[in-house]
Amino acid sequence: MATPDSSIGAKLQSLPRTLLYLILLLATSLPLIYGELAGGVSVPNQPLGAAVDFYAALMKIPPGKTVLLETDWTNSTRGENGGEFDAILRILMARGIKFAVFSTADPQAPQVAMDDIATINALRVQKGQKAYVRWTDWVNLGYFPNSEGTLNALAGNLATAFNGKKDVKPGGGLVDVFESPVLKGYTKLTDIPAVILVTASATSTVMIERLSGKVPLDFMVTGVMGPETQVYYSSKQLEGLVIGLKGVYDLETLMKQGLNGQGPDAVPSQKYAGLDVPPVNDNLGTGKGSAYYPTLHFALALLILAVIVGNVGMLLTRKRTAQ
Amino acid sequence: MDLLAQAGAGLNFWNAPSGSAELIIKIVLALVLSGAFFFGLIAAPANLRRPIVGVFTFLAGLFYVTYWLWPSAIARDPGQAPLNPVEGVAFWLEDALPQVANFSNILTAFLLGLGVYSVARIHVGKLVKRQRDWEFSLVLIASMLLMILFGYWNWFNRHSPTGGLLEDPANWHFQQFASDMLFDGLLQQMDAAMFSMIAFYILSAAYRAFRIRSVEATILLAAALIVMLSLMGAVAYKWGNNSFIQTHPNLSLEAIAGWLSDNVQTPSIRGIDFGVGIGSLAMGLRIWLNLERQEAS
Repeated sequence: MATPDSSIGAKLQSLPRTLLYLILLLATSLPLIYGELAGGVSVPNQPLGAAVDFYAALMKIPPGKTVLLETDWTNSTRGENGGEFDAILRILMARGIKFAVFSTADPQAPQVAMDDIATINALRVQKGQKAYVRWTDWVNLGYFPNSEGTLNALAGNLATAFNGKKDVKPGGGLVDVFESPVLKGYTKLTDIPAVILVTASATSTVMIERLSGKVPLDFMVTGVMGPETQVYYSSKQLEGLVIGLKGVYDLETLMKQGLNGQGPDAVPSQKYAGLDVPPVNDNLGTGKGSAYYPTLHFALALLILAVIVGNVGMLLTRKRTAQ
Repeated sequence: MDLLAQAGAGLNFWNAPSGSAELIIKIVLALVLSGAFFFGLIAAPANLRRPIVGVFTFLAGLFYVTYWLWPSAIARDPGQAPLNPVEGVAFWLEDALPQVANFSNILTAFLLGLGVYSVARIHVGKLVKRQRDWEFSLVLIASMLLMILFGYWNWFNRHSPTGGLLEDPANWHFQQFASDMLFDGLLQQMDAAMFSMIAFYILSAAYRAFRIRSVEATILLAAALIVMLSLMGAVAYKWGNNSFIQTHPNLSLEAIAGWLSDNVQTPSIRGIDFGVGIGSLAMGLRIWLNLERQEAS
């Protein structure tokens, strides 16, 4: 009967799963708790070019215009998409840009988006700012089960694609969305300055297939979707791209510091040299990107450490076997 | 055919004022006709059923294929008449597109309904027959009924003339609190909790399986390490905050990760995308032209 290998190499390769899980639990929750107690942790950061382009594109949209905001995420990816959606809402609300929300991926998505809008609105009211009013400042177009068909129709004609859609007018019940200040006068897709997609699903590919080249597109995707979406950013089919939690933190850094500004913390950008893109000072406090970013550090560090430990164990075992 | 191209915003043959008797009659008629067609298809002989499905599949696909390939009208003015038959077809396709998109949305919504019917049929059967683990079926059916009840109750309230008041939680009633508790308090939190478990599996799998046993595995590990380190802002900042990296910016973590992304990852994914695209086209053609079925038979 073979005796179990009790060498260091074997031990390093067979750490109990429970121990790994416990370390992960601590590594992810302690930074969150510390950050909450300390009122946020500032991590040095150099925003990536894709996020800089996203921010610059958003900041050039004139206040009062309406953007289409496709929201295709639920709370399963709130760690990334939740932060992205918060950031985009804060920028749009701070700049007075109206938006029409719709989803083509998940029936739960419009409700999740509305809850998020309510949360940001509550925060704005708490800080003495004007609430973004449904119907006047934003509308909910609802859920469209067929992404290809809907986006194809949208590419053809904005007014007919959303023909018959109604939203709640305060004190007026259900009224056609094209009578709201948000979409009144908008008929063609080219009237819209940008379509923004926050997604955790393949609707990004469908949007590229149907709308690319017809309207400026800006995407916010999960880290897992980053590589496949990067392809469209590299080929200039996207104006800007925010990927995962790092992208959210990049955006929040830019919201706080601006681009090519005068302050010591302003983010420099050669691409936008001579163009001062100001920060968005909405005074709503720390965003989800800033709150979760330290946790990402610890989780990634733990992942790297676990791989190193496993490989060191393997090398030690090989060496011992060879001897 | 003109009926399909009534694309003007507002009321047309395919819709009616919200809550009107006309709308209800149209919905009932559509359901009766669809039901008659569906059951007629089931009752039809098998050798007749296949060509019927084939014809409908072909017609459904033909619209989008024609829309894609036909020269589209440029800078069309509202009310403008077509200059020639080619432009006439282009106008018709453009006008009919939103109606066809509505059809596809309604058909896809029926698929959701089919899913609900399927889940209910299996679990109610299990419950009635008291099969193994029927308790889980009971929880599922009860959860579904509660969500439907409070979801629709809340929905009707919110879409009433005074629905706007419900934007403020101070005006909520029992049904709003119940709906909020079921959707946000339970479903969404369980959704997030279930997804977060992936982190544990990723860590465990990386620890046990990510071994540098070959040159390829070593290259993969090195690339993964660089990309992961570049995502850690504090590490990337520390790495780049010295005179050597500042005079050689191409050696910063962001630059190396960016090079990997632009020159290794993106071209590879493009290659895969081309392959997938060609495969999808071939599969789409087989389905559209009903070739798949003939071969299978």
